Amino acid sequence: MPLENPILSISERVTELNSRYRNQKTEDVLRDILKDPLFGPVALVSSFGAEAVVLLHMISVIDPATPVIFIDTEMLFPQTLAYQKDLAEKFGLTDVRRITPSREAVFQRDTDNLLHLADRDSCCALRKTEPLERALIGFDAWIGGRKRFQGGVRVAIEMFENEADTRIKINPLAHWSREDVADYITVNTLPRHPLVAKGYLSIGCAPCTTPVSAGEDYRAGRWRGEEKTECGIHLASHVPNSGEPEVNTAVIVNDEGFAPDDWDRGYSVFEDMDDLSETQKSALAIDLPNTFDATDLLPWIDQIDLIRVEFPVFSDGRGFSLAQRLRLLGYHGRLRAKGHVLADQYAMVRRSGFDEVEISHELANRQPQSQWSARAAWQTHNYQQKFYQST
Amino acid sequence: MYNYTTFDKDFVATRAAQFRDQVQRRINGSLTEDEFRPLRLMNGLYMLLHAYMLRVAIPYGTLNGTQMRALADVADRWDKGYAHFSTRQNIQFHWPKLQDVPDILESLAKVDMHAIQTSGSCIRSVTSDHFAGAAADEYEDPRPTAEFVRQWSTDHPEFAFLPRKFKIAVTGSARDRAVIKLHDIGLTLVRNAAGAPGYEVSVGGGLGRTPMIGKVIRDFLPRADLLPYLEAILQVYNQIGRRDNKYKARIKITVHEHGIEEIRNRVEESFSLQRMRFDGVDQDIFARIEADFAEPIYKQASIEGYEIARQSDPLFRSFTDTNLHPHKNADYTIVTVSLKAHGATPGDASSAQMRVLADIAERWSHDELRVSHEQNIILPHVHKGDLPAVHAALRSAGLATANIGLISDLIACPGMDYCDLATARSINIAQGIATRFDELKLEHDIGHLKLKISGCINACGHHHVGHIGILGLEKSGVESYQITLGGDGTETASIGKIIGPGFSTDEIIPAIERLIMAYLDLRLDASETFLTVFRRLGPQPFKTALYTNEVKNHAA
Ligand code: SF4
Ligand code: SF4
Repeated sequence: MPLENPILSISERVTELNSRYRNQKTEDVLRDILKDPLFGPVALVSSFGAEAVVLLHMISVIDPATPVIFIDTEMLFPQTLAYQKDLAEKFGLTDVRRITPSREAVFQRDTDNLLHLADRDSCCALRKTEPLERALIGFDAWIGGRKRFQGGVRVAIEMFENEADTRIKINPLAHWSREDVADYITVNTLPRHPLVAKGYLSIGCAPCTTPVSAGEDYRAGRWRGEEKTECGIHLASHVPNSGEPEVNTAVIVNDEGFAPDDWDRGYSVFEDMDDLSETQKSALAIDLPNTFDATDLLPWIDQIDLIRVEFPVFSDGRGFSLAQRLRLLGYHGRLRAKGHVLADQYAMVRRSGFDEVEISHELANRQPQSQWSARAAWQTHNYQQKFYQST
Repeated sequence: MYNYTTFDKDFVATRAAQFRDQVQRRINGSLTEDEFRPLRLMNGLYMLLHAYMLRVAIPYGTLNGTQMRALADVADRWDKGYAHFSTRQNIQFHWPKLQDVPDILESLAKVDMHAIQTSGSCIRSVTSDHFAGAAADEYEDPRPTAEFVRQWSTDHPEFAFLPRKFKIAVTGSARDRAVIKLHDIGLTLVRNAAGAPGYEVSVGGGLGRTPMIGKVIRDFLPRADLLPYLEAILQVYNQIGRRDNKYKARIKITVHEHGIEEIRNRVEESFSLQRMRFDGVDQDIFARIEADFAEPIYKQASIEGYEIARQSDPLFRSFTDTNLHPHKNADYTIVTVSLKAHGATPGDASSAQMRVLADIAERWSHDELRVSHEQNIILPHVHKGDLPAVHAALRSAGLATANIGLISDLIACPGMDYCDLATARSINIAQGIATRFDELKLEHDIGHLKLKISGCINACGHHHVGHIGILGLEKSGVESYQITLGGDGTETASIGKIIGPGFSTDEIIPAIERLIMAYLDLRLDASETFLTVFRRLGPQPFKTALYTNEVKNHAA
């Protein structure tokens, strides 16, 4: 089989997953999802409301280090906050991320905390949707607790859903009945939210939640008297990845780990080599595309202090050969790989002749120093070196 | 056999641990799916639509009993109790859970095995003659070179992200059983006039959508220049191989587009630089590797039992007629165990069968097994006196099919049953042909014939080099099988020619039957093979047999 299929689109994946996991036990589905590298990072988003305890318990059994995103709208019942602390402790959850609305945005858009009276959709956007969207950056999928029996638009939900082609939303309890939930809680003797005993069947923010009387719809207590039934988290509206300021400074990786860039004298390009001033030549750095023919640099090879080779994408290996050739042609200056280079490639980069790597902040956040250091011992386990030169 | 050094053992163990870590880093988001993909492919993990596939390396097809047993354990513990031997001298497990793969790799590392570079755009696991070190027709053992190349290519920092995959094969026999001319690089061991060892190097061969025979780029390369010369070829390819179109990314296209002359000049220029890195220590390593491949200590015993069994047991006689190949020691023989029982899936073996093979190898074949690219298992060093016992043991495990080199010893890619890219099924056609010719009881009469089936134009079943090739395509929603004739993957390599319109699933087996009947009519005597007749007479008589009596309803 010569070529692997292209990576599936999210919608194809969702279709496939829904058929693969139909009729499987919820715990088994969750276990697969949390351990399957093809899902990538997955978070549980939990309200710590009336029924949240089911999923929290399940993931604590499978992997208590699973990230749990808890959206604190700052309008919640004090009981919810207490319950959140209790559960996290009792279940040993080690990565609960309490997310709050952006200070600045609240100040601008809801100074008096009364926006919910005027415009609930905007309030939910400010306090739930936008913070959640920020919290989900970097996750390829998230788990929520929606169930079909909850009614409204939820009657048709699938276990796996395509969230606007950006990530997969997983509803492991989609097909659970109210009795299933109750049974699970009883069998595992799980602690309930303190307000359940007071008649609250579905619990959100304090101003927008009331108890439900016998015979009423299950979520009738949410946004009572309004058409609103969903808060926006579950509507496929999306804030673009705004808010994150562009950080331009680069991170340098060498055998010691991360370091700031100590080269501040700029870069020339090959086309300008002929008419460089004497001052430029005294500290000469040049940017090369990975398609460059190394022999063209021969006339200047002793004068250059730093060569930076572009890696447009990690899977384009031309830069490795360029580095190798520059070294064999006699370049002894500093050699840097710049761009999309993975921590997993650090040993390759060093062995092909580079001294260091320049990566973006985004990549440095995603693949922190420890991941690069794990590959810093690039001389070991090196077959080629054994063949090259006697020691 | 090559003995893993501490260095080799550490390497595979570290590599397995690194993969475990990469799986974790994928889960925690350090690696995106795009980034993880080549990393897992380099570790043999391929993703199909419904399941994963793990391809474990059996470098140049050689393994011992312990390793075969470890593979059987993997099949039992993590798979469905069987495994598939591929046309690349590798083994594939079709249903492992991705989260189990690090454990599988760790268990393999314990027996000096790995899945490194069995997939992905890198230098792939090197292949060689499956009779290496044993065949009477061999003039020099290719295995030391194959092992040398394996080590050099493992985790080569410059060539882990090539435009496409890159395959190297080595042979040292006048009879090319390693399909040398259809590899990205083919190495044939030769000696120069002074008797010094070296290689004829060919480049740019390949099957797939655009089959091409490799071209000789150096007719004599001294052994000491091998690694720098390979580095030079790879370096040129890495720099100018096309990355804009994956169907044009193999080196065969690079050679085709630039011409062999220009490629040769570039390679020589690069070689002059690369050569400086080597001070000769690699030749000491070569000598150490070579020592590991010393001939086994042959036993001295009577071979009388062999002749007696041939006289008294017709099944044994038929088995020894087809499944043996002359060994360089006259008391010994090479046994090919067919994984093509009539009607079975070519290349599949159950874990129980794998264990039987391990036992037999340990007891009667100096603890050696080989996997052939024709998807059979070889016992390379069997004393003829032991053959009756070996045959009996094979028979009790359902492994004594006497069809090597015959029509039912065919190659078929996994096709639609396992492969997402397939445009047609191939295994059912393979089974149908094998079963039909078994019914006709004509196989032995037909004699040497290579039939190869691919389930799409990617040609993993090597149909281009089958004497008869079958290519499964899809035409407006129905499977259509196209026949090519006259292909040859040996030292007289040629690419098969398309003979005419395709046949439907129902028509293809009768069509093959007409073809064979025509051959039986046309041949001068029983020693003239199908390929020889085709080369003597050309396609016309076969075309007539295929199409004139059958104008009714072949798929246009
Ligand atoms: S539920 Fe009410 S208070 Fe909470 S965010 Fe929405 S509108 Fe605001
Ligand atoms: S030839 Fe086609 S169908 Fe067969 S294995 Fe290769 S890609 Fe799959």
